Amino acid sequence: MFNARITLPPQAKPGEIVEIKVLVRHPMDRGGQSDGRGGTVPRKILNRMTATYAGAEIFRIDMNTGVAANPFVSFMTRAIETGDILFEWREDGGATYTRTARLTVA
Amino acid sequence: MSFPISPRSRRSDGPSRRQVVAGAASGLALAALAPVAARAETLVDFVRRVTDGVAPVEGGVKLEIPALVENGNSVDVHVAIESPMTEASYVRWIHLIAEKNPFPDMARLHLSPRAGRAEVATTLRLAQSQTVAAVVAHSDGRYAIATAPVVVTLSACIDGG
Repeated sequence: MFNARITLPPQAKPGEIVEIKVLVRHPMDRGGQSDGRGGTVPRKILNRMTATYAGAEIFRIDMNTGVAANPFVSFMTRAIETGDILFEWREDGGATYTRTARLTVA
Repeated sequence: MSFPISPRSRRSDGPSRRQVVAGAASGLALAALAPVAARAETLVDFVRRVTDGVAPVEGGVKLEIPALVENGNSVDVHVAIESPMTEASYVRWIHLIAEKNPFPDMARLHLSPRAGRAEVATTLRLAQSQTVAAVVAHSDGRYAIATAPVVVTLSACIDGG
């Protein structure tokens, strides 16, 4: 069920500030709803996303149930060098997902 | 202080409907309600919890959120902060609070000087019409805040089951 769409400019000048947009498909179940059999659904959300680029963490979001299903996040970063930006999500229950997006600096 | 984004950060419960009805039935409604009315957490309390008691100042934070949304399930929010974003002075984090959500702490976004510009956007769930606050922690220890009232016509917390 996990799917991420990462949007960044195809090319950036050194030192330019670029916007990175991330749209994830995830139900972000906040828990507590009826499961139709007398019980309740456990909470299962993505509780953290980190972005790592050029050797350091550039952005992190800690999420609680107040973040919408299929969450969207956008943030800025300064283009330093051509390289992969590594995105990592942590889900309730311990599962992790990773994706990369390449930023070309010229 | 426990980390605010955790299951333990749930607001303290008021009286349940069952307790109120039982109290009224036994003729003790006033006695049962009195201690509860004395303690209802407000936005100020939630803000104080994330700033470790420091009162944040207004200004320098632009919180953009629609004043009226039809559906609380996904509300776009955009936060921009005046900050040079250098090693000497940058925004450490932005904490989003919805006073009347079951879990008022919605998200915390951590930035670094490499962001270049302190500007973020995300999507939130809002349980009802309320005031949304963005608390900003600067690297020099200052805290700033911006609040915005939001009217929600259909809440995010309707249980379909």
